[in-house]
Amino acid sequence: MEYLLLYTNGTDPQPFDPSEGTIAEWIADVEARGVSEYGERLRPGQDATTVRVRKSEVLISEGPFTEAREWVGGFDVIDCSDLDEAIGIASKHPAARIGTVEVRPFMVWPDTPSGKRIVPPGFVENSTTGRRYVMFVCVDPSGETGGDDDVDTWVTEMDARGVRLFGDVLRPPSDATHVRVRRGETIIGDGPFSESKEWIAGLDLLEVSSLNEAIEIAAAHPMARGGALVLSPLWPFDPDGDQVARAQREAPELDMRSEPALGAVTG
Amino acid sequence: MATLIRVTGDWDVAEESTAGAFERAAATWPRAGVPRNPGAWLTTAARNLAMDRLRRRGVETDKLREWMDMHRGSDAGPHDPGDLATREPEWDDRLRLIFTCAHPALPLEARVALTLRSVGGLNTGEVARAFLVSESTMAQRLVRAKAKIAHAGIPYRVPPADALPERLSGVLAVLYLIYNEAYAATSGESLQRLDLAAEAIRLGRLVVDLLPQPEANALLALMLIQHARAAARVDADGELVSLEEQDRTLWNAAELAQGLELLSRRLDPQDWGPYRVQAEIQAVHARAATASETDWPAILGFYRLLPDTPVIELNRAIALGMAQGPDSGLAALARLADSGRLRAHHLLPAAQADLSRRAGLLDAAASFYRSAIALASTGPERRFLERRLSSLG
Repeated sequence: MEYLLLYTNGTDPQPFDPSEGTIAEWIADVEARGVSEYGERLRPGQDATTVRVRKSEVLISEGPFTEAREWVGGFDVIDCSDLDEAIGIASKHPAARIGTVEVRPFMVWPDTPSGKRIVPPGFVENSTTGRRYVMFVCVDPSGETGGDDDVDTWVTEMDARGVRLFGDVLRPPSDATHVRVRRGETIIGDGPFSESKEWIAGLDLLEVSSLNEAIEIAAAHPMARGGALVLSPLWPFDPDGDQVARAQREAPELDMRSEPALGAVTG
Repeated sequence: MATLIRVTGDWDVAEESTAGAFERAAATWPRAGVPRNPGAWLTTAARNLAMDRLRRRGVETDKLREWMDMHRGSDAGPHDPGDLATREPEWDDRLRLIFTCAHPALPLEARVALTLRSVGGLNTGEVARAFLVSESTMAQRLVRAKAKIAHAGIPYRVPPADALPERLSGVLAVLYLIYNEAYAATSGESLQRLDLAAEAIRLGRLVVDLLPQPEANALLALMLIQHARAAARVDADGELVSLEEQDRTLWNAAELAQGLELLSRRLDPQDWGPYRVQAEIQAVHARAATASETDWPAILGFYRLLPDTPVIELNRAIALGMAQGPDSGLAALARLADSGRLRAHHLLPAAQADLSRRAGLLDAAASFYRSAIALASTGPERRFLERRLSSLG
């Protein structure tokens, strides 16, 4: 089964202690087991751009679409035998000790050919030309209902343009599992019983020439009317490097938007 | 049913087929007579029904083939004795079912409902009544839980050894929750729901049979010793009788003996888990011929082994008051009250009232009783406190 692991700061963030295991060790483990498809770190929340369409008008805002909420700092797509294995993988990730790992199964469609993977074969991890964004497709209660919600047209168009590398829909949050590790103990929680107001319903990986193009693509998605699209730039790092030193080096970036100002892209 | 779930991988097919087999039995047995081995008859009937259903659904042939192989295997004679799972397939299947129903990725209330429904064999209406919700609400809860098992990929198997202790404690927590739901209803007039308590004990016995781990034994002992007092806990009018005032001849001797027997197994107190400690506390009460002979210093010692939660601290303070005099207990309760952690819980003022009464502080006792009465959520508890208040004179 394929799962998306979402790394969030959670409600009780803890300091990182590399002696309890590093990201390099985690990557080595999942690669050795052959369960890893693809994963990335994401730029901090201030670098996200939220796109909505309301009354045919494109609304763009800086930052994640919810205020003062958990921020997704990275993700991995894994393919493993069942939820227990996914929980085991999630619990070994440093993010489980620092924050919370949300384990979300992907939607399995009746017509999905067996053996098809979320991340397609031949996918190249490092972009050569364009800028890559993860586009989170979000449910937002302020969304407009009705209208044409068929996403297939959008997928076909964006695939033909070569700007959409892959993407899929997730099972709803009620099928999610939250994994945290505190004092060496794995704490497993069920997803929210009643779905919270705003939630991530799927994701796509885009490769574009600019933020402007990403916004245009997001605005064309049917969920721009029915929900919200959050564009999050990737934040590559060297997993073998000194993570503590890196965190110190990057600290000034945490409050500074490195993406173009919205006035610049929309003006 | 547990076997059917494993083989079909489909909870609904397994449930429908099991129910269908019982229906068929009800229709056939009165006419043709009860078969020599009713259990085997039912299993075979359920298997055949499940196979029909899978065929009708057009399930992939490999699943059917796997099914047929397994079926043939069980008819062919003894399996490799080295393989526990094939040697005792039913043992394994029931354990798988228990662990799947109590999986921590499921909401707690769904775990409880699913365990009662699938392991306990209660029907949806019975589970609904046990938790005071409508049958349709409970049916929806069960459907959601089963859907999550399928969609989230919750495996149908006994957890690997490294995860087993943690998962077993999750299973025991579900059983204890079922038991406690029976022991003291959180609201309403009915103080005890005995059928649920009996169900929790039955499930506890099943777990102990399948996996006789110390904490499983201890939980069963705890439930048995508490349940042994059920008849003495309420009087002829359905009113609450405190442990101190209970007629100890009404205690169920067989259940007490079974509970104490489970605790007679040697285990270094360093390895005691929370259920063992709680069972030992109940065993001290059980061994006292009269309330005044209760070994309170021993109980206090056991409470000191338990983690500091507000309710444990409350009970520890009561034990302190009973072991060393009401004043020290009242001081501990006052500290707990100051912390504000048990605010809105009637047990705290009720304990303060009781120890004040024992200390002869009748005005303080009356005031605490009034606070407790205002907070008590069940009718019997409220009336018990009112009787205590009026008996102060």
